[in-house]
Amino acid sequence: MNKLIDKVLYINLAESKHEIIEQPELFERFLGGSGLAIHLLLEECPKGIDPLAPENPIILAPGPFGGLFPSAGKTVAVFKSPLTGNLGESHAGGRFASCLKMAGYGALVIKNSAATPTFIEINSEGVNFCDASPIKGFSSFEAERRLRGCAEVARMQSILTIGPAGENKVSYACANIDRYNYFGRLGLGAVFGAKNLKAISIIGSGSIEVPDPELYKKTFEKVYKELVETDKMAKYHFTGTPANVLVLNEIKALPTKNFQQGNFECAEAICGETLGEKWLDRKVSCPLCPIGCMHVTRLRPAFASGYEYEPIDVYCNYESIYALGSNLCVKTAEETLQLIHKSNTLGIDTMLIGNVLAWATEAFEKGLINKKQTEGVTPAWGDTKSYLTMMDYIVSKPKELYAKMAQGAQKAAEAYGGEEFAMALGGNGLPGYHTGYASILGTIVGGRHSHNNNAGYDIDQKILHQTAKPDQIVDSLIKENEWRYLLTSLVICLFARRIYSEKMVIEALKAVGIERSLEELEKLGSEIYHSAFEFKFREGFDLNKVKIPQRIFEALTANGKLDETTFRGMLRDYAKREFNLAL
Amino acid sequence: MPLREKIYLEHPERCLGCYSCVFTCSLELFNIVSATRTAISLKPCSLGDPFTVIFCTGCDKPSCVKACEALQQDKEGKLKLIDPSKCDKCETFDCAKACVTGALLIDPETNKPILCTQCAKCAEICPHEVIKFKETKQ
Repeated sequence: MNKLIDKVLYINLAESKHEIIEQPELFERFLGGSGLAIHLLLEECPKGIDPLAPENPIILAPGPFGGLFPSAGKTVAVFKSPLTGNLGESHAGGRFASCLKMAGYGALVIKNSAATPTFIEINSEGVNFCDASPIKGFSSFEAERRLRGCAEVARMQSILTIGPAGENKVSYACANIDRYNYFGRLGLGAVFGAKNLKAISIIGSGSIEVPDPELYKKTFEKVYKELVETDKMAKYHFTGTPANVLVLNEIKALPTKNFQQGNFECAEAICGETLGEKWLDRKVSCPLCPIGCMHVTRLRPAFASGYEYEPIDVYCNYESIYALGSNLCVKTAEETLQLIHKSNTLGIDTMLIGNVLAWATEAFEKGLINKKQTEGVTPAWGDTKSYLTMMDYIVSKPKELYAKMAQGAQKAAEAYGGEEFAMALGGNGLPGYHTGYASILGTIVGGRHSHNNNAGYDIDQKILHQTAKPDQIVDSLIKENEWRYLLTSLVICLFARRIYSEKMVIEALKAVGIERSLEELEKLGSEIYHSAFEFKFREGFDLNKVKIPQRIFEALTANGKLDETTFRGMLRDYAKREFNLAL
Repeated sequence: MPLREKIYLEHPERCLGCYSCVFTCSLELFNIVSATRTAISLKPCSLGDPFTVIFCTGCDKPSCVKACEALQQDKEGKLKLIDPSKCDKCETFDCAKACVTGALLIDPETNKPILCTQCAKCAEICPHEVIKFKETKQ
């Protein structure tokens, strides 16, 4: 029997056809996830195309541990990003990976565009192409509710949907999986919208085999025990990622008022502890994961007098709270949750929309944009009502300003001014950690310009109040960038990175029939990181031309003010050592 | 795309699960109270959600019409059964299967599809404005 599920399902939307191709060498070489998907992207995506053109492929890849090991069940999506114009890579949890593998596929490649709104249904037999007109314009939630099948089917069904923002091609529209999981970043939703693809449902009615069931069971138990019997995952289970709010506020790294401040006077009102005590409804897990990191809160806005409430559940994490809470100076948990819910309903990335709204608030304050351009909205810090209206306008685009805002803060600033406070790097909005040099440099040199690429923020926090040693920071970033690409090719959830030590990774691979040494794995991680940049460079990404908003060097970070010369030196050093590039 | 008056989802979270829309519809169409002989139905929860109301959204170029030649859509967008005799021998129910939301139900008594006439009675009775009848492009 094959060690890995090595069938790639190719779907051609233009012809409503599909093809299943076995690619054992490819899986043997890259194992799955990021590595496999980026390789397929290099193969399938023609150079220089418009990200919204039919030729832009969407590749969805689980990893070798998906459906088999705990905390390793995410799916990696890659595509050419409409937001940055280069590598689009986003990871999401949910049942998608397990279902895809249980239907018998190791990866999914979606090509071309459908002529009319389409919904595809995938099962072990193949693919059904269905008319999505009845769910056109619906939020992800409402579309999903309608597509979820009867009990028999729903037992192992995963549903991916986009909302109106994706249909209207907002550059940072997200895709939703099984209600609480998101391919949040870099605009996968818009690529789905451009393909006229509203939703995918996968029925995983088959099963996954392992070569040595005894060894597998033993290894599974070992991983599981580490997860539940040590405190390595405690943060993610108890308070969840919103635990970061107070921690970062304390060290002045919680971006506030569009990064003008590192601490927020109302941090306690929107922190993880407050949410846990007053707003949390329940926790939700991905299949096989005992952690339940998804913290689902309950909002119940009154829509009339006489105790008339709308029961709304809102999945929230630290990044959404920073982006739509502190960074916009929204003072209460309730309002922050309302903004997150609105963003989720429209199907927009919470981080990016917060980033864009922060730019708009400051641009309005400074007179760069006016009431006529905003369609009468007067955004101000903490003004939730205006923000809710602006979100609708960013999706419906009634004015040129909103069409620009729908392309991200950097594009909006290029048109209207305020580039010095458009807080994006490489086109992607900044994550919520104003910790120091490593966070900023890490975001620039990460494959997907995300804090998860290399945890620069973590490096910064470890060297707090010490003199930064630039070459040590560069060292750590190189190591983390490469090793994390190995982890995301195995599609190990990065929350569980301390569980999956180098030793544990090797053991778990062995349990699914793959023998690899640490050296081989490190080499593979490095190779995959470089293929991500091969695609980025091919599509015009240039480390020399990355715009760095001036505010980064003006506002205080947890490690004090950043010196631009020192920073440029580190970037040069990184480029030289990792890419042999002279900046 | 032409604007037409259609049933439209306004406040989904407010659904009480009262079945007013369902029973009103069955009364309007068949003079009985039924949860199966109706053109609008309630799906009780998925993943802990409240009730979901399933209704015909009156698509332009509907897939149910494409699936069976016994069905037709008139200029106002309303569905019509032009050849009811075809339904008598039907065993496949392609019209119902064609709708991804499962909005088109088959009448268990007559074996014929229950067509939504977009009469708006369901929207009128809904106590919480979950659905509304308005001009929309959808």
